[in-house]
Amino acid sequence: MTNLSIMKKEELKITAKQAQLELLQDEEEKLAKAVTEMLDYFTMMSEVDVESLTPTTHALVRENALRLDEFNVKNNFNNNQEALINRAPEKNNNFIVIPNVL
Amino acid sequence: MTEIKDWKVYLSKVKEINKEVGAFLFIEETPPESLKTGALKNIAFGVKDNIAVEDMQLTCGSKMLEGFTSPYSATAVQKLLEAGAVCIGKTNMDEFGMGSSTDNSALGVTNNPWNTEYVSGGSSGGSAAAVAAGMVPFALGTDTGGSVRQPASFCGVYGLKPTYGVVSRFGLVAYASSLEVCGILGNSIDTTRSVFEIIKGKDKMDQTSIDYFPVNSEAKTIAILGGDLGLSKEVETAYKKAADAFRKKGYSIIEVSLPMLDYGIAAYYTIAMAEASANLARYNGVRYGHRSKDASNFEDLVQKSRDEGFGPEVKLRILLGTYVLRSGFQDRYYTRAQKIRTAVGNEFAQAFNIADIIMLPTFPIQAFKHGNSSLSQFQQKVADKFTVAANLAGLPALSVPISVENGLPVGMQLMGPHFSEERLFKAGESLSDILPLAICPKKMEEY
Repeated sequence: MTNLSIMKKEELKITAKQAQLELLQDEEEKLAKAVTEMLDYFTMMSEVDVESLTPTTHALVRENALRLDEFNVKNNFNNNQEALINRAPEKNNNFIVIPNVL
Repeated sequence: MTEIKDWKVYLSKVKEINKEVGAFLFIEETPPESLKTGALKNIAFGVKDNIAVEDMQLTCGSKMLEGFTSPYSATAVQKLLEAGAVCIGKTNMDEFGMGSSTDNSALGVTNNPWNTEYVSGGSSGGSAAAVAAGMVPFALGTDTGGSVRQPASFCGVYGLKPTYGVVSRFGLVAYASSLEVCGILGNSIDTTRSVFEIIKGKDKMDQTSIDYFPVNSEAKTIAILGGDLGLSKEVETAYKKAADAFRKKGYSIIEVSLPMLDYGIAAYYTIAMAEASANLARYNGVRYGHRSKDASNFEDLVQKSRDEGFGPEVKLRILLGTYVLRSGFQDRYYTRAQKIRTAVGNEFAQAFNIADIIMLPTFPIQAFKHGNSSLSQFQQKVADKFTVAANLAGLPALSVPISVENGLPVGMQLMGPHFSEERLFKAGESLSDILPLAICPKKMEEY
């Protein structure tokens, strides 16, 4: 176990903020333990000699998938803008309502 | 697969047995009209609740999406509906596919139909339980690191994780996009194969979907792992039974070693959590899903909605994923994991030079009891050793029920090169006379 693998509380707070998660006090302690357990496990990866290896980003992608850069309001599947906006927790006509930003 | 003649009677039987098994989170109320045409006409199926079915709920087993209904159907679902099959409901799962027991569902408990004190596995535990209990002949699941195969093994059914990209992911709620596939839990190889033939194929709605280039040659050589694999006594027994059965069928059995398997778990979780942290950023309480009632400003709204909507395992994975992607840590974790991913793929490619199929245990133990006391969340992750490799390398893998030991089923996983699904089906079929499929004691009466 290296010290680098252990997530300190402060680090956890920074990470939680980046992940847009607000953690409650008791949650924080439980998660810190679980996070540390996993990070510690991840350190075994340092045993592997990866010098000559290129990273794999996708298991099986044969070619780059391209499409025309076209503006397309209508999707190819059976739905429409209204069906999607209707699923918002709060809306006003065609707009989704959120708390004041300014 | 049996055609449903009386939908009303059938649905009431499904609802009755679901009280004990809890495979489904939602069951269709209205009996559908009988169809006259289609390869799967009047065949019922279930769909894991992270795959979209038009106008049905799509919760991912999370409070975050409780009450959300999908405005469209996933491509795989659409193809089945066009073949005449009828989706009767949505099956339970670990929240957002994160877990190995379905106990991480925020919306319901699923019991193993073989013994209701035990879990059905996960994350597609609802789909596996539904098939094992005879509620449906097949159900769709998703497999990111073993989530179709492990519950299939726990419940004594067949579980196919297809080659990556062969089945469209359109309409599948994203967790770890580079690893996950839509898979099948089936009551026989025939059923699993028929469904696979229907749902596979390139889809313009999924840019990572690919054309199919089938490997037609049948297997002659099957590789197994030697040495101490850390298996339970029961799983060890089943592994030997399967190898013996293949020998009797004329296959040649060889031993290989796959030293990268252990590192594969660490690489898998690094990559899966990194991708999860990005994919789950969309749940912010704005456009859909849970919205906190106590928020005073926008930032507060996002944080509180996420804190209230996600369960502990999901938060853990988002946090870890965010951490390994932070600047300064990427090389140590994420990039290294991607390189190990390459090494895992290379190791399997080499093994396939000398063997046509590699047979691994699906999971080192049988189904465990409900609650974290029998196997902690951390131990569950480490136990994914045999399943995650197929996701890292994009390989097809089929979990085949082998035997029942101490009252619970055990499955073995057949893995082949890309596009070798038919080879796996044929090998699995060849075992059926020596190791016939055991019938679950809690099975819905015929309909």
